[in-house]
Amino acid sequence: MEKVIEISNLTKVFDNGRGIRDINLDIYRGDIFGFLGPNGAGKTTAMKIMTGLSKPDSGDVKILGYSVLNQFEKAIEKVGCIIETAESYPYLTAYENLKQFSRYYDNVDDKRIEEVLELTGMLKFKNEKPRKFSLGMKQRLGISAAILSRPEIIILDEPLNGLDVEGMLDIRNIIIKLAEVEKTTFFISSHLIHDVELTCNRIGVLYDGKIVNVDTTKNILNNYASLENYFVSEVERNGRV
Amino acid sequence: MAGFKAALTNEIEKLYKKKKVLVATIISLIFIVIGQLAISGMRSGLGLRGTSNMEFPILVLSVVVNTILPLFTALVTIDCFSAEFAQNTMKITLTRPVTRLKFFTAKITAIMVFIIVNLIFVMIFSLAAGIIFNSNSFTLAALIKIFICYIVTLIPMMILAMMIVLFTNFIRSGVGVFFLSIFVFIILKVIGLIFSQYSGVLFTSMLDWYNLWIMSTFPFGKILRQFILMCSYGILFFTGSYYLFDKKDF
Repeated sequence: MEKVIEISNLTKVFDNGRGIRDINLDIYRGDIFGFLGPNGAGKTTAMKIMTGLSKPDSGDVKILGYSVLNQFEKAIEKVGCIIETAESYPYLTAYENLKQFSRYYDNVDDKRIEEVLELTGMLKFKNEKPRKFSLGMKQRLGISAAILSRPEIIILDEPLNGLDVEGMLDIRNIIIKLAEVEKTTFFISSHLIHDVELTCNRIGVLYDGKIVNVDTTKNILNNYASLENYFVSEVERNGRV
Repeated sequence: MAGFKAALTNEIEKLYKKKKVLVATIISLIFIVIGQLAISGMRSGLGLRGTSNMEFPILVLSVVVNTILPLFTALVTIDCFSAEFAQNTMKITLTRPVTRLKFFTAKITAIMVFIIVNLIFVMIFSLAAGIIFNSNSFTLAALIKIFICYIVTLIPMMILAMMIVLFTNFIRSGVGVFFLSIFVFIILKVIGLIFSQYSGVLFTSMLDWYNLWIMSTFPFGKILRQFILMCSYGILFFTGSYYLFDKKDF
């Protein structure tokens, strides 16, 4: 199985003592990897380093064999992501925002922009500016931006944040479809445990900056009644009251 | 290179879509019109000789280069950096296949394009106002002189822009950067006036270096010295601000 993301000895510690320490993780092609952990565990920190928004104290991340630190353009070329919040330029329309992002990729034309807006239910708002959007609409636009270039890897930090039930179902279906049909690899962090259980095939738990366990969803559900039970037991095992 | 081109196109589009470019254009136009009306008024009302149509653009440049041009340069630079830091939109481009160096350079280049467009706009409209309102004929040599004056003003303006970029990288608030830039600009101008022995090393004293370019005997040595000094400032400001930008976590 091809390794698409290799995280080796990744460490970043902030002045307040929080951060990630010695993270080692391999993600394989076609995985829908769920990244779970309590608040402040370091999930977003790890994802920011993976996407070049932050630099680690030590360690490296290789995406498709290219180092994010030394060969950033090649590493990030086939990656789409939403980190923390789905940002867009408030003074450009939804269409103009996607047009801006499309300029960095050879394989994205106007037809593709309309296609992704249609997929996320945003086509009717294409000429409106995000300053007038609700949180859910901004999130859908962010997901459009993440899938725009047909990336091989999609890194999503809380992708269902702010979405209504229909939106959550739509996005879950998009993720599953892209993973099945285009063999897109997903790396998703979420607090919606039930959704992670339904969507992801492998789960990694992060606690206090360290990976405590990585296992397949199938194995976990063989041993525990639900993913929630597994998560609570892992976190309790690591000393949280 | 493709990444740089994409980043530059995006930065220019963003500047164009924001209203500030339009405001800069309108205010520059008002400035030129008021200037021309004042000169016409002086001539007919007070009997004083105003300027000929070829001197008017240089007169406009001498006023604009110390007032509205640094102001608009500051506004656009702060918009490119501080506003994006505040709105958290820097990460939009930082997660695309373009290195931080190319992205940073594209932003600086977009600011340069804005300054050039602003200068050319002021030049064309001041020339037009000069031709319409002042009766003397114009020569090709004079036109070339005016063009050179406006174009060479780009270099000290870029140094000012880069100093402001440096400020944006260690002061969070755009308003703070704006006031610090004005404060530093005024202080440097005053130091240049009071301690004239130091004015040779202050880049604010080089804002009117276009006067050297239109002297009857071309002062090659002086121009070269000022150019090299400005390049040194440019290298220092660029390196300092890029270093801080590269280290930032978003």
